[in-house]
Amino acid sequence: MNLFLLACRLLRREGRSGELTLLSFALIVAVTSATTISLFSDRLETTMVSQAGQFLAGDLVVTSPTTLTSDWLSVAKTLALKQTMTAEFSSVLIENDSFLLASIKAVSNHYPLRGSLKITGNHFDQEQTITHGPQPGQAWIDKRILSALNLKLGESLHVGNKKLILSKIITYEPDKRGNLYSLSPRLMMHTQDVPETGILKPGSHVHYYYQFTGQDSALKSFKQFSKKRLNPSQRIMDIHVDRPEIGTALDRVQKYLRLSSVIIILIAGVAIAITTRRYSERHFNSAAILRCLGCTQAQIVKLFITQLVLLGFLASLLGCLLGWVSHAGLFALLKSLLPETIASANPLAAFFGLITGMVILLGFALPPLLQLKKVSPLRILRRELDPIPTQSGIVYGMALLVISGLIYTFTLDIKFTLLLTLLASLGITLLMGLIYALLTVIKKLESRVNLNVRFALLSLVKNRKNTAAQILAFSLTLMAMLLSFSVHQNLISDWQTQLPKTTPNHFVLNLFEHQRDDFKTDLTTHNINAQALFPIVRGRLIKINNQAVQKIVSKDSQGERAIHRDLSLTWSKQLPEGNFITSGKWHQSPPSHQVSIEQKLATSLNIQLNDALTFTIGHETINATVTTVRQVNWDSMKPNFYFIFSPGSLTSFPKTFITSFYLAPENKNFLNTLAKKYPAITILEVDFILNQLSLILKQLTQAINYLLIFALIAGLIVLAATINATLDERRHQSALLRTLGANRSLLRNNHLLEFISLGFFSSLFAVLLHDIASFALYHFILKIAYLPSLMLWVLVPLIGTTLITLTGLWSIRKVVNKSPLSILREH
Amino acid sequence: MSIQSDALSEIIISAKNLSKTVLTANGSLSILSGIHLNINHGESLAIMGMSGSGKTTLISLLAGLDTPSSGTITINGQPLTTMTEDDKARLRNQFIGFVFQNFQLLNNLTALENVMLPLEIIGHPHAKDKALNFLDRVGLSHRYNHRPSQLSGGEQQRVALARAFVTQPSILFADEPTGNLDQKTGKTIIDLLFALNEENKTTLVLVTHDQSLATLCSRTLMLENGKTA
Repeated sequence: MNLFLLACRLLRREGRSGELTLLSFALIVAVTSATTISLFSDRLETTMVSQAGQFLAGDLVVTSPTTLTSDWLSVAKTLALKQTMTAEFSSVLIENDSFLLASIKAVSNHYPLRGSLKITGNHFDQEQTITHGPQPGQAWIDKRILSALNLKLGESLHVGNKKLILSKIITYEPDKRGNLYSLSPRLMMHTQDVPETGILKPGSHVHYYYQFTGQDSALKSFKQFSKKRLNPSQRIMDIHVDRPEIGTALDRVQKYLRLSSVIIILIAGVAIAITTRRYSERHFNSAAILRCLGCTQAQIVKLFITQLVLLGFLASLLGCLLGWVSHAGLFALLKSLLPETIASANPLAAFFGLITGMVILLGFALPPLLQLKKVSPLRILRRELDPIPTQSGIVYGMALLVISGLIYTFTLDIKFTLLLTLLASLGITLLMGLIYALLTVIKKLESRVNLNVRFALLSLVKNRKNTAAQILAFSLTLMAMLLSFSVHQNLISDWQTQLPKTTPNHFVLNLFEHQRDDFKTDLTTHNINAQALFPIVRGRLIKINNQAVQKIVSKDSQGERAIHRDLSLTWSKQLPEGNFITSGKWHQSPPSHQVSIEQKLATSLNIQLNDALTFTIGHETINATVTTVRQVNWDSMKPNFYFIFSPGSLTSFPKTFITSFYLAPENKNFLNTLAKKYPAITILEVDFILNQLSLILKQLTQAINYLLIFALIAGLIVLAATINATLDERRHQSALLRTLGANRSLLRNNHLLEFISLGFFSSLFAVLLHDIASFALYHFILKIAYLPSLMLWVLVPLIGTTLITLTGLWSIRKVVNKSPLSILREH
Repeated sequence: MSIQSDALSEIIISAKNLSKTVLTANGSLSILSGIHLNINHGESLAIMGMSGSGKTTLISLLAGLDTPSSGTITINGQPLTTMTEDDKARLRNQFIGFVFQNFQLLNNLTALENVMLPLEIIGHPHAKDKALNFLDRVGLSHRYNHRPSQLSGGEQQRVALARAFVTQPSILFADEPTGNLDQKTGKTIIDLLFALNEENKTTLVLVTHDQSLATLCSRTLMLENGKTA
């Protein structure tokens, strides 16, 4: 027998009869969602990563205090990398008898390789977005330079010996960093003009940034080459290390996107398992007839699996096409919210949708389908002979295996995969236990209630296995939708908390002790609420437990950077706001020579509690014992420190003070007042960085909002399909009751109560599972504190019950109106 | 007790000391016991008895749809009782046709597709032509594209007859083929069944409650409480 051809014919005939519509529909929805999410996420992630690249103005940046030797650049050229260079240094500008320390940035041609600059002609001009720096002979400047030096655009200004024309005001540069060279107002010029300034001489304090873009593989090769050539003063910059605030946000979004994909697959898997089970049950008789007509068990399995694979392939293909259209629609819809240039669609992402479709189909549909193999030919004479169901261990095991495999494929994160798999197994076991306990209670109640309620309760308890499967499906679907929603909510609120409106946007450094009180008064007079003033002593960590740090610390560790430079050391009686002790006790008495260390640095340098640390400060050395390890929120825009000493430890050393505060844009001129009154202070303006960050967070939030809506719609469609898949028995029972004289209102009430019960209990279980899953997810994966919401316990049962009841009543509406005879005949 | 046919050399079905016992909540229940039976090639046998007498069980054992608790069955000289399920399936495809009381057509398939099915299972190269030919012989060629739900009971049973005979089996098992039909339609079906049987020289094993139908067969086996009466 040519099984393949027969399977094709049977599939065509069954397709025509409408028998496969529901299964195909569930699969198409699943693959469409998976493909949409996969394509959308892929393009969004690529776009976001490339946009994040804008914050470095290149895909890869090498920073060095000297110019790179020509061999670096020739290697980059060989690899077809596009390259540009910027040099940043400080210089005092003198014009009209006024002085101003400016942060000079000399940019070469092609700057910026990623992102763009924003400039204006004057106050009232419209902001222009451009992708190149100033021409030789010209300078672009921060607006503050004009007022501080009494200059106007079009006039000239000297940078060292070189006279430059002030042509534009610069309002945005993609790679503005919060380092020492961006404290002062910016002056941007062309690198070609730098030699004529006469400022840069051998030994001058300057930072060169070599930016590269190109093919991923070429960048990778170049990175490998560079790593080998780096000297201790050179570094390769990376978005996750050099812009941690953006790196963290991106990480979280990527995790959210992955979670959404997994959730969609889980929902689809549940629907496919249920629709296939129904398909399988409806084909017991066909299998028995085929066995009677001479089909062997292997032929039956091959026949149905071939049909399933064919169907899966066709439906997945259609799903991929729809997903392609749908993701394009989604981008079109989001056009105004997303970056102007979106990375092109990767056909592999669509192919991934196809593979995902086939895998979930086989993983979830195979166990119920294998039941057909066990159908006895005798069933043709004795209809009650159902095959022995596939062991539930195999059914759930297979589904779990497929889900775990897919989660791993999506995330490449073994910890995440194992955690989710473990949670899913525990969750399902717990849920099944709860469902059976509930059904036992209902069974006891059933005889004590009136006829209407009894029918509904009877429907629930008479086939406990079916009811349990339904509640399980509803709960998992609701839980998945809920999880997607609440993670999204928490992610956004976490970002909002991270950047409240009055996040400090200015830092003041180098304030002397005798200026401290006056400075405080000035801030108070202008209603500026500043953070505490922290004393700073510059010092370097040289020994850990009397061993030189260079010998202990590996070159690639994060802490390596911290031991090659002077750090800002401070002391404090109290634990600063936003710091949390992870081990040890805050400074004990007598307080001297105790130190608290930041957690990541401690881990990186392998420093433990009670370790003895040695620092050099100027020409002196001091020792201190580690008494606490602290967690620090580096994104808080408040003064944060690697080391906080106990009071009295550093008092004998010369010190300056640091603080941060929020200054509204309209009060910017206050900075000039401060700069004039306290000429030695350094003001670090981080509002540019904050604005950049807010912008990217806003875009990400809007994008995932739409992803969430899509996930919810997919969930709802699958929910409807799931209810539809359980209709057969209800239809038959309704037909029987109507034949026996039950009127339509009795049936309606019966269904209403049954769906309300199913919806209510499923929702309750969904919230319970959601809270457990959330706790684990937040705690172990997203690293956000999870606060369970009581509102969820009220709202979800309300919404879930309504949703399931309405979907159920809608699906079953024909049963009540159709003639009982036609239903019984169909059955 | 046993019923022997006259021509032992032409035996196509042979059952020896056949019994079937099932386990129930109240202990084991004997459905058939001590059945000896030989059926000759081309013979028609009616199995009669009251409800619960074991008729359906006997036919399901003889057709290899069920396994006896003890005893042996041979079909065409092949011992059914030692065969695997798949061997039995192949044997059914090769030698056996079925007609059931409730027709047992696949609802998703048209009349023609239902008749083609057993031919497709064996990979017959001209399944469609042959199926059309048999539909024509049962007088339904004009309704070949109709689904079972679009056909009357009599018409469905005629499609079932066409399907049963299309592989030209050696043996046809019919389980109350007129049980779901009115008298007139039932008679038409029986006439057709016997005509096709005669034409194809098929051995017919028929389960029925209908005495008049039984008299059309060459032999009758009466069952009573699982034993031959």
